[in-house]
Amino acid sequence: MNGFWWWLVEPISGFLDSDDREAVLGDVLESGEPGARAFCGVLGLVVRRQRSLWLNWQPWTILMAVILPLGFLLSVISRETSDGSAVYVWMYANNWDWALTKNPGFWRLLGETSIWVFLAYLTLGCWSWVVGFVVGWLSRRMAQINRLVLCLVLLLGELTAPRYFEFLDQYERRASGLPALPDGNAAVFAVAFYRVVFPLMVQVLVVTAALWGMRRATAGGKPGRILRAVLAAVAALTLAEMVTQEPGLWFMVGPRVWAHYSQLALWSSVLHLRRLLEPIEYWPIIFLIAHAIRKRKLRAAVV
Amino acid sequence: MIGEFEYLILAAAVRLGDEAYGAAIRKEIEHATNRRCSIGALYTTLDRLETKGLIKTTMSDPTPQRGGRAKRMVRVTARGVGAGTEFYASVKRVTRGISWEASRVRIRP
Repeated sequence: MNGFWWWLVEPISGFLDSDDREAVLGDVLESGEPGARAFCGVLGLVVRRQRSLWLNWQPWTILMAVILPLGFLLSVISRETSDGSAVYVWMYANNWDWALTKNPGFWRLLGETSIWVFLAYLTLGCWSWVVGFVVGWLSRRMAQINRLVLCLVLLLGELTAPRYFEFLDQYERRASGLPALPDGNAAVFAVAFYRVVFPLMVQVLVVTAALWGMRRATAGGKPGRILRAVLAAVAALTLAEMVTQEPGLWFMVGPRVWAHYSQLALWSSVLHLRRLLEPIEYWPIIFLIAHAIRKRKLRAAVV
Repeated sequence: MIGEFEYLILAAAVRLGDEAYGAAIRKEIEHATNRRCSIGALYTTLDRLETKGLIKTTMSDPTPQRGGRAKRMVRVTARGVGAGTEFYASVKRVTRGISWEASRVRIRP
């Protein structure tokens, strides 16, 4: 088999279990059959395996209850983060004046803005990682196909997020009865870079972090029972925090639900609770550092 | 009762003994039937046979001949031997008294 066919067979075989993949690729190499035939054989096996997996209810539940809603929510938050930071980038890039650097207020504002932008992206990165981690954890056997599905959902989310904001804006205006106000940031988003390229760059960060989280969840053996329980708890809290931070979603649930929440002041309780949960959202950083330290210790022990 | 392809795999695995694994079984079946045996059909059927408890598979150590890849070794269980024996006995019973050569001559227009 030449390099071209092998280049096709190898990624396709990634959709199989690690043992299956090992045995099948070994069989293909040993049999020395023509590349096209080997490719069709492996593709046939992948299709059969996927078909039997998708005949169960679990993959559909994970798709409908986890990947689709969280992927879309992540896209919305990603768009909000990119739009929010694009305004600052535009502001500094278009109004740069060296004379400003002599003003202490300028440095203070720049410092505050930088911290805000940094934390916003750190949070986005952590949320993306957690979503990937949860998807990978729930579907270890289907990690490869769900990786592809999550990427597709995030790509689709990137395209539909602006429509969602338009819809939400119209809905809120209708609900409040207030007239439309001119967009104060129209000048920023008139530039194609801030409207199209910048959000795409941010979405690449989201995809990378999500795939990293998925990889972390599927790599290595299963963690112990206590660690599993801790991971499940912090992941659930992080997702809860992520879901409640988007008030637009509650509008989407229905005006009655929204009104009910407002009347009972439940929303403010949720916001208070969220503030308590905020430090938890950075747990992936602690997890990754702990994992790296453990790995280094193990390597040192082997040497 | 097992199917025809399942029987072919069981028979090939029994013949190969300790050397029964994916590629070897495929080669054996292709040689015996003069027909192509796809990887997809083979591995799906191996899974089915394992679920039925007719075979047991294990991963071997990696070998250099296969680019350092491990083999999925196949061992036929006692139930597998029983199922193969039953299938073969059924084929023999249903074939008793039939001459395929004679039938071919008679059917030919």
